[in-house]
Amino acid sequence: MYGAPPLTRLAPLALLLIAGFVLPLLLPQYFLYLGNFLMMFAVLALGLDLLLGWAGQFAFAHIAFFGIGTYATALLNVRLGVPFVVGMPLAAMLAGLIGLAIGFPATRLRTVYLALATFAFAEAAQWVFNSWDKVTGGPDGLRIAAPNILGYRVGTDPTAFPVMAVILALVIAATMYLTTSKFGRAMCAIRESEHVASASGIDVRSTKAWAFAISAVYAGIAGGMYTLFQSFVNPDVFGFQQIVLLLSMIVVGGLGSIPGALIGVALLGLLPEVMRTTMRGLLIWQELVYGLILIGAVMFMPRGIWGFIAGRKGSR
Amino acid sequence: MSPLLLQGVASGIVTGCVYALIALSLVIVYKSSDVINFAGGEMVMLGGYLGMFALLWLGLPYLLIFPFGALMIFIVGALFDRVVLTRVVGRAIPGQSILVAMIIGTVGLSYVLKGAVRVIPYTEEVRRLPPFSSGAPIFVGPVVLQHQDIAIVVAAVAIMAALWAFFSFTLVGKALRATSQNPRAAALVGIPVRVMSMTAWGLAAALAGVAGILLAPKLLITPDMGVIVILALAAAIIGGFVSLPGCVAGGIVLGVVQNLIGLYVSSRAISLAPFLVIMIVLLLRPQGLFAGKAAAKKV
Repeated sequence: MYGAPPLTRLAPLALLLIAGFVLPLLLPQYFLYLGNFLMMFAVLALGLDLLLGWAGQFAFAHIAFFGIGTYATALLNVRLGVPFVVGMPLAAMLAGLIGLAIGFPATRLRTVYLALATFAFAEAAQWVFNSWDKVTGGPDGLRIAAPNILGYRVGTDPTAFPVMAVILALVIAATMYLTTSKFGRAMCAIRESEHVASASGIDVRSTKAWAFAISAVYAGIAGGMYTLFQSFVNPDVFGFQQIVLLLSMIVVGGLGSIPGALIGVALLGLLPEVMRTTMRGLLIWQELVYGLILIGAVMFMPRGIWGFIAGRKGSR
Repeated sequence: MSPLLLQGVASGIVTGCVYALIALSLVIVYKSSDVINFAGGEMVMLGGYLGMFALLWLGLPYLLIFPFGALMIFIVGALFDRVVLTRVVGRAIPGQSILVAMIIGTVGLSYVLKGAVRVIPYTEEVRRLPPFSSGAPIFVGPVVLQHQDIAIVVAAVAIMAALWAFFSFTLVGKALRATSQNPRAAALVGIPVRVMSMTAWGLAAALAGVAGILLAPKLLITPDMGVIVILALAAAIIGGFVSLPGCVAGGIVLGVVQNLIGLYVSSRAISLAPFLVIMIVLLLRPQGLFAGKAAAKKV
């Protein structure tokens, strides 16, 4: 499907917005916290999926841009008094610029080499968050001041929830336009074959670098979202575990599709919570179960859960 | 050269030898199935635990825990290839890269191994193996060497020599190399390609496991000790990621560089060294420091 998405496809977003404003009145705080957490991860996963699922670039640096977005938004607010509505876009742009700067050299590399270079970048970024303690607070972490959005005070789960829902709806809409645009088709062409893509007149290098930058902007936005409902950040939030979790989410959900990414986020994001509440005594088995789910997903559902569902619908 | 510098270089060589063994394991997997084995570190960890288990529970003599651990982990690696990866490759969707699925598979294996070790109650307590051989340290000029360090270097060199002989002279070793260069041609001349892939995974796993047993007296054995794989990745990249001798050189270079950074820059910068090395080498010389020209990718 190419061109602007029809309005009917945007209908679920209206539901998301309604839920964003109604649910804080109905649900207890714990569920709202989970909801906020999942919405933040949804933005992260959609951004990583652009790069991995659509453009086919195997990059691990996503979590570093998430960290840059979080620290930049928080520091702009705490140190310089920049309000959230200005600070978050600035932070997302900063993440995007760094992404572009990394993207041009990094996307010269392919497959495993790209994965390793970006993995090293992510680890180095975490080292910087840990060691630059004058600015980031180092391992002790940084307190985040409750953001103020045009007079509306955020900072708790119920107050952040509607704002998170609005941001997520905008990001999903942007992803729909992006993936059906000419740029989106260029990314798909590169994923299928770089040679064919460049023979059809697509500038492979700059498309890859821009995909890298846009994906970094998504991560930066998610970083801003983090400051909406959390009051504290430390470098552990941006560890290797998180990028593995994100990768697993989009692979289990289904690469290269918006519903797939969202399903993966909901499933793997809620799994630890479900295990914590239903199998309290078996918490120690969590890692083992998680590993088995990952292996099972790649063995039995190569297109992910969404691909599995869509495939069945298609064959009928 | 100052004694401090010499001592730094000497202990860098010792740790570098262990990095090199793990790097060899990663590169053997990469050459056989084009993936980075993110469970490599957990195979090292499993080796450490199996060694401890054999020594303390089964009461095997120290020399026998090496073949015991190697054999057990060989089975784990070969089974993973046979059961999981064969299936992932077999279900590949035309046009979509299977690399991501395979790598997620290895990540899954890393969680399974870590989780499996964690549920054994025995592992709650942090332990380390007794040294392989003890005694007064040996002085070579100004450099002090522990018996354990010498044992590590000797064992690592012996394993590397055996590996070289295996790949150069034995039929299986040559078949492995042929399969890595061109699986289709290898299948045409009658090499059982699938068995070769299992062998490569088993061999790689066994190498990582033995490295784990060698490390166990120096490091604490914990379910999370697999993070050491990052250093092995850096070592493999310095060596170009496709060359076995490059791995050995890369491991030793990394070990020495780390120690010198610790001596002359700061101990905090040690943990940054492998990542900087990975980025710099990949951006400036993706073929590795020792290769003459870019390695041709097999078709």
